[in-house]
Amino acid sequence: MRSHDNIQPSKFWLRFFRWFCRAEYKEDIEGDLLERFEANAENHGVQKAKRLFKKDVLKLFRPSIIRKLEGNQKLNYYGMFKHNLLVSYRNFLRYKSAFLINLIGLSTGLACTLLIYLWVTDELSVDKFHKLDDQLFQVMLHHEESGTLNTQEDTQAILAEALEQEVPEIEIGLQATPSFWFGKMPLTTSEKTIKASGRFAGKRYFELFTFPLIYGSATSALVNKESIAISESLATSLFGNPEKAMGQNIKWQVLEFSKDLQVSGVFEDVPANSTEEFDFVLPFDIFADMLGEGKHWGNYNALTYVKLAKGTDVDQLNEKLAPFVKEKAPKSNVTPFVRPYSDKYLYSNYENGVQSGGRIEYVRLFSIISIFILLIACINFMNLSTAKASRRTKEIGVKKAIGARREALIWQYLEEAFLMTFISILVALVLVVLILPQFNVITGKQIVFQLSSNLLILLFAILVITGLIAGSYPALYLSGFKVTTILKGKIKNSLGELWVRKGLVVFQFTLSVVLIAAVLVVSKQIEFVQNKNIGYNKENLILFANEGKVTENLDTFIDQLKNTPGVINAGGTQHTIISGGSYTTDVHWPEKNEDVQTRFGNMTVTYDFIETLGVDIIEGRSFSRELTTDISKLIINQEAVKVMRLINPIGQTVRLWGKDMQIIGVVEDFNFSSLHEPITPMFFKLEDQRMMNILVRIEPGQERNTIDRISKLYKEYNAGFDFNYTFLDQDYAIQYASEERISTLSKYFGGIAIIISCLGIFGLAAFTAERRSKEIGVRKALGASNSNIVRLLSVDFNQMIVLAILIALPLSYFLLKSWLDEFAYHIDLEIWYFLLAGLAALVIAWLTVGLQTFKAAKANPVKSLRSE
Amino acid sequence: MGKHNLGEFEEIVLLTVAILHGEAYGVAIIDEMESRLERSVSIGALQTVLRRLEDKGFLTSEFGEATKVRGGKRKRFFTVTSLGKTTLREAKEQRLSLWKAIPEIALND
Repeated sequence: MRSHDNIQPSKFWLRFFRWFCRAEYKEDIEGDLLERFEANAENHGVQKAKRLFKKDVLKLFRPSIIRKLEGNQKLNYYGMFKHNLLVSYRNFLRYKSAFLINLIGLSTGLACTLLIYLWVTDELSVDKFHKLDDQLFQVMLHHEESGTLNTQEDTQAILAEALEQEVPEIEIGLQATPSFWFGKMPLTTSEKTIKASGRFAGKRYFELFTFPLIYGSATSALVNKESIAISESLATSLFGNPEKAMGQNIKWQVLEFSKDLQVSGVFEDVPANSTEEFDFVLPFDIFADMLGEGKHWGNYNALTYVKLAKGTDVDQLNEKLAPFVKEKAPKSNVTPFVRPYSDKYLYSNYENGVQSGGRIEYVRLFSIISIFILLIACINFMNLSTAKASRRTKEIGVKKAIGARREALIWQYLEEAFLMTFISILVALVLVVLILPQFNVITGKQIVFQLSSNLLILLFAILVITGLIAGSYPALYLSGFKVTTILKGKIKNSLGELWVRKGLVVFQFTLSVVLIAAVLVVSKQIEFVQNKNIGYNKENLILFANEGKVTENLDTFIDQLKNTPGVINAGGTQHTIISGGSYTTDVHWPEKNEDVQTRFGNMTVTYDFIETLGVDIIEGRSFSRELTTDISKLIINQEAVKVMRLINPIGQTVRLWGKDMQIIGVVEDFNFSSLHEPITPMFFKLEDQRMMNILVRIEPGQERNTIDRISKLYKEYNAGFDFNYTFLDQDYAIQYASEERISTLSKYFGGIAIIISCLGIFGLAAFTAERRSKEIGVRKALGASNSNIVRLLSVDFNQMIVLAILIALPLSYFLLKSWLDEFAYHIDLEIWYFLLAGLAALVIAWLTVGLQTFKAAKANPVKSLRSE
Repeated sequence: MGKHNLGEFEEIVLLTVAILHGEAYGVAIIDEMESRLERSVSIGALQTVLRRLEDKGFLTSEFGEATKVRGGKRKRFFTVTSLGKTTLREAKEQRLSLWKAIPEIALND
């Protein structure tokens, strides 16, 4: 025996060899290695022998010697997998109702989740498609008014240029107008006139915003002041073919302005996920000419977009920008800051200068709802599987007795859960494809379903997560049984298990009650907003643009309108009435604290406008044709009286834009902008030209004929123009379309959550009734009545549901209160909303449980007692 | 022509196993080859070929008795099967017939 300690081969390499070598070769090759080592050690010395040993081991590391990956023994993984599938399949067949409940629950839950995912990705993609997205920012202004900060996106038209020149981080500064400012503007070619919406934008617009140009170049399309870039579809409708459009002449018109332009670019139609929708772009210089002397630091008449240098620290830049305007105009009350352009859609709300959410809240809300729904469906699966456990104990017992290890059983149940989830995902995909068209109608989107790699990853993640959540508890719970107790049939439901199951049901129902309450309150709020008294009668009012030849003869046109049968009254205004209009802080009154700026809505109108709109004059008088001096008079609203602290407003004088104006009347407060905004001070001011819109009140009952007559009159002035009008009440409805959609969506999802929850307790009730069928039989044989049995079976459920309601009520109260607080006008939370929600949950639960228990109670005891 | 083609190294290993007749195990084969052919052979290369020849059916193997040397590990003795023998013979005859077919003149320098 020569094996002294010092002539041993390296342990590491020997261990390495033992690790990789096939078991069946291990012994003799190791022997060979050692023999060689010993011989080498004798002949060449230990050091060299060790080196040669290492070399031998490394040379043995080759495919034919390395053991196979599956291990040394051939394990029957595939066999077990197949066996588990078979067992799962048999189980599905055997407990069809549980299978169906799980399938329906999981697949509807998954379909909801997928739909919400599609919706959320669509929301998140808005405005993100510009190539420079990460450098593209919008300049916003905080206005200090009456001690608070009011954040607006309107900026001075001269801001962009100043920023580009003076701030090194800003590579490009660009002005533009929002496309809604001018509504639809008529464009005339030699052949026809088409009205389309457009915006004015700085020369480098298409460099900054990468709407792809089909013809023309991004750098030069808007350089020439006589140029116009039009969309592909506008080009098609004007010239028949986008190819022919380039270089063609178009006459553009708005208010009293008009200009002959040449098409310098054709861009692809603006995609649906852009917040700005427009058909054509004009050079900003044209708008600058229209503004004339209106370009100064006190006038907010453009949007400002900037391209920041790469790697700019936005916070630092904002600090630097804060005094920018005040340095130019010391009296100014505005503080500029930049925010990513693509945040405009989702993060639009500012509260006292701080970003406070926006649409992103709906995105979050629905993401949470989708998780809730999926969770509720998973809970069903968990409850039903564990509840069913007692029926599968024999199977588990036998398997364990034969030698199944716990891991194998855990795998079996997980596999069952995964199989269930997989089938559900397939069903859910089919459901999504079927529902998507309807979903698009509800959400007003154009979502296309395609299996992108992201979606596949999501599906896989859902499969794994849902499978794990739904399968882990049953797997761990069922596999933990002791063989002897199961096979003796002594399995007892532990208290813990019962608590878990009850807890899950309570959790499930809590979510459902919260959702019911939310759906109730959301729809009540939306109804409230739409039917709110806005200060005038919004029915039978039509609104259309003042354009073309009408502009030049507005007075005559309005007079003729009034004489049209069916028309009650008519007037013009510069205001849009529903989406807001211009405002000013340049109003001064004797007791005014000049350090505090107050914003006044400016509604410039013609005679008879106030009467047409129908707001009540509570003091003083309206504008009158008889008195020619009314041009220097104002009519204000109650809020303005309050803000100016006027005790006797009539006859008082205020300074507006440097001119003394006398107050001649006070109107009741009414909504003159979005209902999301509270009523602010405002004034009516008289003018006889430059009106944007004409408002007409018509007699109810014969709207069709009246509108035809108005249209005929309009066409006498504007031959070739389409007469486009809107009903004011419909405009209001459109304003609330997004809330309306949210409300509809939440109704559906709330309903689905409840249905899935009910499926769960339906399954549980059915199961309990089945398991206790012997007990029921005995009780009935001993003389229990049907109602006794029903009470016996439903008492558990009642407890759980009542508990769920008790938890859900305060929870939903707080959630909904914070939601409602975002609205300037909102309903008060009344106790009955919550009681109703609770009651609804209770009744639905009773119906589901009752159906089952009643069936069980009515069953003939002979049947249940005779077996065995 | 036999259907079992032998590679050069395979043939040498097979022949060496035959030479050692009953005493052919890993290290002995290597020693024999190294001493006769003056070429160094690694265990890895040899073992791979031995297993391959065994798979092809030219060799069989069985464990010998455990001894105190070589860490108490048993030796695996290889013997040539009759298929192996046939194949070797075929290979030899092929070579011979090729040798015979060479004209005298071709090999004279």
